Amino acid sequence: MLLALRNLTHDRTRFALSVAGVSLAVMLILLLSGYRAGIYRQTAEYLDHAPGSVVVAQRGVRDFLAANSILPPGAAKAVADVPGVARVVPVVAQTAIVELNGRKELVYFIGYDPGIGGGPWSLTEGREPTAEGEVVFDRVMAAEHGIRLGDHVTVLGGSLTVVGLSDETALWIGSFVFADSSTIESLMRAPAAQSFLFVTPQPGVKPNELRGRIHVQGIDAMLKADVIVADQRLLARVYDAAIGLMTAIAFFVGVLVVGLTVYTATIERRREYGALKALGAGNRVLYRIVAIQALIAGVTGAALGTLLAYGLGRLFVAWRPQFPVTIEPTAILVALGVSVAMAVLAALVPARAIARLAPADVFR
Amino acid sequence: MTGFTLEVRDVTKRYGDGPTAVSAVRGVSLAVQPGEVVLIMGPSGSGKTTLLSMMGALLSPTSGTISLDGTVISALGEGRLPEIRLRKFGFIFQDFNLLSALSVLENVAIVAELAGHKRGEAREKATQILTELGLQERLRFLPEKLSGGEKQRVAIARALVNDPALLLADEPTANLDSAIGHEIMRILRRVAKEKGRAVVIVSHDQRIRDIADRVLWLEDGEFAEAIELATDPVCGMSVERAKATTAERDGATLFFCSRGCRAEFLGQLPTDGIDPASA
Repeated sequence: MLLALRNLTHDRTRFALSVAGVSLAVMLILLLSGYRAGIYRQTAEYLDHAPGSVVVAQRGVRDFLAANSILPPGAAKAVADVPGVARVVPVVAQTAIVELNGRKELVYFIGYDPGIGGGPWSLTEGREPTAEGEVVFDRVMAAEHGIRLGDHVTVLGGSLTVVGLSDETALWIGSFVFADSSTIESLMRAPAAQSFLFVTPQPGVKPNELRGRIHVQGIDAMLKADVIVADQRLLARVYDAAIGLMTAIAFFVGVLVVGLTVYTATIERRREYGALKALGAGNRVLYRIVAIQALIAGVTGAALGTLLAYGLGRLFVAWRPQFPVTIEPTAILVALGVSVAMAVLAALVPARAIARLAPADVFR
Repeated sequence: MTGFTLEVRDVTKRYGDGPTAVSAVRGVSLAVQPGEVVLIMGPSGSGKTTLLSMMGALLSPTSGTISLDGTVISALGEGRLPEIRLRKFGFIFQDFNLLSALSVLENVAIVAELAGHKRGEAREKATQILTELGLQERLRFLPEKLSGGEKQRVAIARALVNDPALLLADEPTANLDSAIGHEIMRILRRVAKEKGRAVVIVSHDQRIRDIADRVLWLEDGEFAEAIELATDPVCGMSVERAKATTAERDGATLFFCSRGCRAEFLGQLPTDGIDPASA
């Protein structure tokens, strides 16, 4: 342990470079995984706060954010009549590209009945809409466009008054805007339209059991958790390959940096390791020295990388709140595991070099 | 640990097979007693280092046996040799081979730790030996801060820390000036006589003959008897008078290891370097 530490720190510049390399790799991995976790959480945020545990949608629709769902007339009443249903909350949902202050934005409109739910769950300013033409904007989007309470905003040809600003309603590609159902129906020119029903089972009725009981023409009933997973799968198709590729690149860069450092440190001291072998150190002892060097570089780099990721993550969220970075404790454990894996892989080549050393060569 | 006898019996080391095989050591036999200093000399390529490596369990002989106090160590498997080297032998190298990242104390203590001593105990032992060798003021120094003589004393302390039966030294004075070289040899002799260790030294250095109990001449992989040696005045190597290249100067005969050294001495070298034909 002592020799490993001294070998590593004897050349401080090299040690600093190896730690910097690993910390950058770990930081990148944590930021990417944090960003992924953040957008996954964003994706689930609305449904997590929506009432009920069963979601009813147009037949064939499996997700919430990407699909257009129009329920057949009378669906809400038919579902409410199913035995075991305690409450049905209808919403009308529509994605639209709108122009705000000359910039195009993707907005996910939610029309709801403020009396029964389905609207914003956290208001930072103002109130929920109480009349047609009143809207609640996401606070991040409002801040980006300089929109304040009381402002009038023209969207899709309709004039809306901003009466509230909501929190946790930004999406990585846009944001939620809430209004009462009639406002959205009028904007969409779709009177009495309903997109989804959020269904709450009566006490004692399990969500899955209730889902099985809902048989209404033209609709599908799904567990809310399954709809969230479907939304996230959709997201995964967009993001996971790119994030996975970048994470793999960061991992290999980390392995290369530690590997190169430990390898050069080992080769430079080849003669010293040969002397140790001649003096009676077995291969196992020498492997341990090399592995500990790699582990010290890896774990120090991981610790520094985690701190950097936290710091940069906070800065990033402050700069662009719609792009969340959520570094979870499990991600830190994974990063530590990743750094150990980097160290083990990085130690393989130097260990081979040591195994090949013939102790008698020390006399040459 | 004292009182061990090393016995080399009819040992041969051959490299390669068939017509290209080269025998570095041929049928050598030798016994080294506790407290004895044996100096093995011979020209370059005579097999000295190969013999020393085999005696120290660093290399296996092609045939013959090497025994340490009755145990045939040349028959032991590769897995058991590090343990033998660690506990029975102490090695001293021409280039010192100290661990550059460790202090003087740590360089010695690490070998005791390898043998199973706890860190505190190992450091205590190392401090004691280093103090005996006059290095008490250098314990915290890195090797790069030491003189050549000090480095070799650290190497001797490292070789002694596990109380080995035998010290094996390869050209221990090669990188030292004459006075320091003699001091190192006196230390090795004292170790042999006071602590009862056997010391085997491989060297070209004629100046250290006087401290050895026995001088053996190895040539072409075999011990030669009753040879007359001289020192090449150019490179300092020991040369066999009967086979050496000679030159006369001021009525005296001088002996050289090669025609290159002779030419250099006589000022006959070409200005652009050594004539390969005479080297």
